[in-house]
Amino acid sequence: MIEVEHLSKVYVDVPVVDDLTFFVPEGQVLGFLGPNGAGKTTAMRMITAFLPPTRGRVVVAGKDLDRDPVALRAQVGYLPENIPLYPEMRVDEYLRFRAEVEGVSRSDARKNLDYVIERCMLEEARGQIIGTLSKGYRQRVGLAGALIHRPPVLILDEPTVGLDPNQIIKIRELITELGKDHTVVLSTHILPEVEQVCERVFIIDRGRIVADGTPDDLRSAKGVRPAVLVELRDANDDGHSALADLPGVREVEDRGDGRFRVEHETGTDPRESIFRLAVERGWVLLEMSVAMTSLEDVFVRLTTQERPEPPAEPTEEE
Amino acid sequence: MHKVLAIVRRELIAYFSSPLAYIVLTAFLLMQGCIFYLVVAFANEPGGPPNAPLHFFFGGFFFWLFLLFVVPAITMRLVAEERRSGTIEVLLTSPLSEGQVIAGKFVAALLFYLFLWLPTLVYVLILATYGEVDPGPVAAGYLGVALLGFLFLAVGVLMSTLSKNQLVAAILAFAALLFLFIVVIFDDPRFGSTIQAVASHMNVVDHMDSFKLGIVDTRHVVYFLSTGTFFLYLATKALEVKKWR
Repeated sequence: MIEVEHLSKVYVDVPVVDDLTFFVPEGQVLGFLGPNGAGKTTAMRMITAFLPPTRGRVVVAGKDLDRDPVALRAQVGYLPENIPLYPEMRVDEYLRFRAEVEGVSRSDARKNLDYVIERCMLEEARGQIIGTLSKGYRQRVGLAGALIHRPPVLILDEPTVGLDPNQIIKIRELITELGKDHTVVLSTHILPEVEQVCERVFIIDRGRIVADGTPDDLRSAKGVRPAVLVELRDANDDGHSALADLPGVREVEDRGDGRFRVEHETGTDPRESIFRLAVERGWVLLEMSVAMTSLEDVFVRLTTQERPEPPAEPTEEE
Repeated sequence: MHKVLAIVRRELIAYFSSPLAYIVLTAFLLMQGCIFYLVVAFANEPGGPPNAPLHFFFGGFFFWLFLLFVVPAITMRLVAEERRSGTIEVLLTSPLSEGQVIAGKFVAALLFYLFLWLPTLVYVLILATYGEVDPGPVAAGYLGVALLGFLFLAVGVLMSTLSKNQLVAAILAFAALLFLFIVVIFDDPRFGSTIQAVASHMNVVDHMDSFKLGIVDTRHVVYFLSTGTFFLYLATKALEVKKWR
């Protein structure tokens, strides 16, 4: 559905997006995960035919960016960061305007309007002036605007920024719902969001894809070792060294008060030997559990490898 | 075409839902009312020159002064505000070309400008009731006003694409229009024949003069339309380059 080949954007010798190549099949929900300034927004702006790439090829739903950018735009529903809207317009007025601009025929416009209003739960806000809406409603109006021409591809830049926790949950549910019949690309720097919503994740750092896979794949990616969390009583002094000597254990982190994080080799399970060690030394085993490797670990590991400061994305100021 | 109309409609909604439109409208009518009073008082003087009222109404000092302020006020928001708020990103990721966006905004500005002039037709009506009005010169005068608006608004649209700040856009437009207005000072042999010739061609006051005398000269019509279109072309190009900066 989305084909990207060697896509690059260079601002005065600084590559903000650096040679991206990927393919998104129809119906996939893909997350761009990366620190601020990683080039997520720039990449999205190129895929939506807003920003001309320095190099590279983009094809969305069979429409080539080079040959026919206007046709490509018709295939994509895009919600930019910070949801730009016209504050003086009413919700339905705005959506009707979006439908016209997107080239929706008059007969479909009415149908689509009802569809997006229902889908984005905007019934009560239909006649309201956009400038008076809460952030959560504005977000939904933005989404409705991106959906109004029923595009096969949805691109959402940081769709949950600035919302309160309840609104975030609602928007995530909506995105998950939309993912059933749309190809969705969303960007975020919030990890749980990716874990909940996306089937596939790209970790992007300094304009490059540094990891690509399902959230599970990434969690078991190399470089992140499994670990066991242990809490022991009476093991304060020699607990650390005794645990570190167990077979298969790579590293032990003393978290104080008898709590340890025991990192071990993939494929080994030190839990039994930890139990036997505790019995042998007369320690009381209060708790032992397998530590869930979060995407956070992967993310931190992949995006903080001794590098100079990433180049900032061009700011909005002139 | 349908999409351009959508933009025109949206811009008109934006005009009439902002206080600025009503302020401009009120000030404009107040000003025109004063001018009309002067015109009538002046025309009542025995032995006044022929065509004096029209001359004054479509090209007096106040006419120019007012246009130099009103046009930037009409155009400053058009593109600058879209770029400031980021809505330009939504607009230009719709299947629209930059040219269509500029065209839509320009047409809306032109309609608003003509709307400003609409109530002044009442003056013509009043004059026609109490005296005789020669319809030819009046029509020519209004045609001149429309053409002048075409050029001035095109300049304003261009300036609005150059900045994200409405005030900066307005000042740029004012400066550019002022230049077109005072370019006449370069229409002097001391600056060399080339500069003199260019200045004399660019002088909008000259181009407007024949209209207020009731003469529709195609050279002037072409001047206004072609220069205006040229500025709109520049605005389209400027938008292509500036939209994401």
